Amino acid sequence: MTKSNIAIAVGACVLGIVLLALPSILTVPYFLHLTILSLILVIVAQGQNLVQGYTGYVSIAQGGFMGIGAYCSALLSVKSGLPVWLSLPLAPIVCSILALAVGYPTLRVKGHYFAIVTLAYNMVIFIVLLNFTSLTGGEAGIPNIPCMENLRLPWGEISFTTRTGYYYLVLVVAAAVTIFCALVVHSRIGRVMIAIRQNEALAEAVGVATWRFKLFSFVASASLAGLAGALYAHFTRFINPTPFGVDQSLNAILAVILGGSGTLAGPVVGAFTVIFLPEYLRIAETYRLIAYGLILVLTTIFMPRGIVRIASQIARWRPKVSTRQ
Amino acid sequence: MKRFESRLYLGIVAMVAVLTFGIGAIAAEKELAIGVSDALTGPGATYGLPQSNAVQLAVEEINAKGGVKVGKDSYKLRVISYDDKANPTEGTNAVRKLIDRDGVKYILGFCCSGPTSAVASFIGREDVVMLVGNAAERAITAQGNPNLFRTRPPADYTGSAAGTFVAQRGAKKLAVVGSLDVSFYRQYIEAFEREFEKGGGKIIAKESYSATDRDMTPQLTKVRALNPDALLVTGYVEPSSFVYRQAFDLGMKMPRYGFTSGSEEMFLKVATSEQMEGIWDLRPTELTVEALGPVGKAFLANYTKKFNIPPAPSAPYAYDQVYVLKHALENAGTVDDTKKVAAEIRKLAVPPEAVMKYIPIDKKMFDENGQAYTSNGAFQWKNNKWTYVSDLPSDPMIYSKFLRSLRK
Amino acid sequence: MGGAMIIEVAQQIFNGIVIGSVYVLIALGLTVIFGIFGIAHFAHGSVAMFGGYLTFYLTQRFGLSLFPGMAIAMPIGALLGILIERLAYRPVRDDPHINAFIIALGLTMLIEGADLLLFGADQVVIPSSYRSVINIAGLAMVELRIYVVLTTCALIAAMTVLLSSTRTGKAVRAVAQNRSAAILMGVDVEWVSMVVFAISSALGIAAGALIGALFAVAPGVGEGLVVKGFAVLILGGLGSIPGAIVGGIVLGVSETLAAGFISSAYKDGIAFLVMILVLLFRPEGLLGKR
Repeated sequence: MTKSNIAIAVGACVLGIVLLALPSILTVPYFLHLTILSLILVIVAQGQNLVQGYTGYVSIAQGGFMGIGAYCSALLSVKSGLPVWLSLPLAPIVCSILALAVGYPTLRVKGHYFAIVTLAYNMVIFIVLLNFTSLTGGEAGIPNIPCMENLRLPWGEISFTTRTGYYYLVLVVAAAVTIFCALVVHSRIGRVMIAIRQNEALAEAVGVATWRFKLFSFVASASLAGLAGALYAHFTRFINPTPFGVDQSLNAILAVILGGSGTLAGPVVGAFTVIFLPEYLRIAETYRLIAYGLILVLTTIFMPRGIVRIASQIARWRPKVSTRQ
Repeated sequence: MKRFESRLYLGIVAMVAVLTFGIGAIAAEKELAIGVSDALTGPGATYGLPQSNAVQLAVEEINAKGGVKVGKDSYKLRVISYDDKANPTEGTNAVRKLIDRDGVKYILGFCCSGPTSAVASFIGREDVVMLVGNAAERAITAQGNPNLFRTRPPADYTGSAAGTFVAQRGAKKLAVVGSLDVSFYRQYIEAFEREFEKGGGKIIAKESYSATDRDMTPQLTKVRALNPDALLVTGYVEPSSFVYRQAFDLGMKMPRYGFTSGSEEMFLKVATSEQMEGIWDLRPTELTVEALGPVGKAFLANYTKKFNIPPAPSAPYAYDQVYVLKHALENAGTVDDTKKVAAEIRKLAVPPEAVMKYIPIDKKMFDENGQAYTSNGAFQWKNNKWTYVSDLPSDPMIYSKFLRSLRK
Repeated sequence: MGGAMIIEVAQQIFNGIVIGSVYVLIALGLTVIFGIFGIAHFAHGSVAMFGGYLTFYLTQRFGLSLFPGMAIAMPIGALLGILIERLAYRPVRDDPHINAFIIALGLTMLIEGADLLLFGADQVVIPSSYRSVINIAGLAMVELRIYVVLTTCALIAAMTVLLSSTRTGKAVRAVAQNRSAAILMGVDVEWVSMVVFAISSALGIAAGALIGALFAVAPGVGEGLVVKGFAVLILGGLGSIPGAIVGGIVLGVSETLAAGFISSAYKDGIAFLVMILVLLFRPEGLLGKR
């Protein structure tokens, strides 16, 4: 075990303990609220990272897929009376089916075309959510969305109506999603995705059926966004189209860029940054847009690999020891 | 030396005495933080910013007169205000911050239905009192939250009165151009249609535009071809002002009625006075000098002086909220027991400082749903100003029972 | 009844041509950049909005009327375009295309944020005095709207002359056809880059000013405009100037006819639907080369 590996392992353990004990550590419950929102964004960001960071296709549709997942689970549990534990997993499934249907023709176009078409998808989804009032309630939204039913475990019952309960739920899901992404990225699928990002023509020339892998990453990102949307719906217990517009997609992109695209810790760092930064900057909306824009531009020019890469570069830096005595 | 020491000693005693009495005096004067959640930027700001300003104005007036007298103590009010940007996520965050981080128990403002509905869906579980203003979505008070009150009447209460009025004026074929994707505008139109049809009229078209649309010429062209004898425009003031301008340009000069609640400035930014001349606005009897009594006139003058711009129609809803709260706190004798304060609000008669003309239900300002009712008025644009013409026939008792019946 | 129908259709078509003209201006700005650089200049919508705000400021501060104000704003916009090219896009010229797109997103936020800071969040309407209406048997044509169409025609003509007859224009076309060959022939590519961004931004400013006079500029309007601009590009063929012109008018008229005869609620969705369909079935656009 090398020194840096031990350091990483210890760091991970400390982080794990902090995360598990967080509700007891935090004195201000509002920060737990923000943490839950950050963890939900982590799920979206990991998906975004798959399609953008690894495969190199910027999808601006995550907000829309979040919306589909959210409305799916909300409508099933409110109007059809389905228990939430059933409607929740249906959200990513519905999103996958939609992404499959829509993705296959869309992925025939590349680069900028692709990004713009996904932007169009997000806008279409938003317009439909807003205007299809008989189903979605339009701008008035869907109120009184139920929470998950209590889980009966050997040592007691866990309720998810409290923030603490919901925090643990989202923590487990976010961790599972990150592990899933880690598995994908370190498998052959991941290697092909990276190859596509670096030089798609070459990958195709070598005989790889790139469309399958592109489709996989697009569908994966859409279904993760759908899952996150459903978790969001059952947390806030009220949804309307507003949080699922293009701004949310841009949040996901920002999270990936800031944190570090193409890494696993990047989306986590990025998501927390995107949610917490406005609270700490506490500057008016007017400055916030400028700040975000500046961050995006400067980060892309000077720090295209994001915070995590820079941090690991710093960690690996060793002062040169002079060999001359 | 001795004299100096004794003088020093005396000085210290004097200072301590002053400080003790001073601190004692200050101790009796406490501070109560109240929260405001409103759209301060973005498309809802035309409704939210005036509300937030009005709260500031009311708080200053109350503090200048010694604050809120609860038991033996006097509380100066301090306002903590957050921007919900007319967005339900931001609204939820804002209210969570007020409750969890700032420890606030009384939250006012709420100009826009999106974030207000979001907050209303969980506020029943919180130890707070929520006072809603301009947000017109009916469901907000239909849910029966014991700690939620609204000063502005729901849109459909005004809609049915408007329908009767327009039928009485002889319109038979009416076309609607409205923000049909917004449910409280839809509710207004539904109620309007019911009463309008009872009066012998018929709605021949319903065309839609969204809050961000600015080009309604296609919708208006379609409507023009159907030859209506009247037009109804329901939507936020920013796009609706374009509807009026473009309708005039297309040569549509039939009687035009609206539910848009915008001040003269907002309309004149877009349309000329010639284009607006003769247009009606059928809405709660809001700010025009003729419709108000001396309290309203004073509010108009004070607001304009403090903020250098006349108040928008949404402003008094929030101003009145502060005085409702003041009286309820004083009657309840506590600032901590929100259930008691809510109960006092329920029992409250219309405060003398209120700007809007409320119609009491059983002598009380709020009905069993927590809803207050103003009179509805017909306003017409004459010579650059909204002029109050007459009341619309409204019945709050019937509506109140209807609202109660919606509770599941 | 037939007569009334004809008038209605004619009115809708006129409305469509007016809004279509604005789409053409936006699309032209996008297509020249795509043709030369191969990047999707997503920030163009914000640039247009800036143009609207700037023209408003010039009319208010200096008492100018709409068209003189616009004439002054356009060169300022051209400068902005050059700045954007040098400071934002040039550093990532050799990076993967995705970086340029992220830059474009960041620029959009930056410019929108600057607009918000300078001009506030309320909608801004540029006052103009061209309010008279020419009414021919029920077809109502507002003076201002006619001027919008005429201005667009004038700008298209100016651009065409610039590109076909001047040396700079020929250099631009050379780079568009074959960048490496142009470099070999001694064309100053840096100069061409600047010129292209200048033209694009000037056209964007004009579009924004016209939108500000016809309707209003406000936060969020730019985003919708630029996406429709890309819809036009995809419809007419990326990089094709005639495609941008035809596509813009086609989109404008389709929108108004659909809103008038099918449904007004989903009017904005038409552009996106068109874009998606074209991309799926004829990705090179109606006028593009296969």
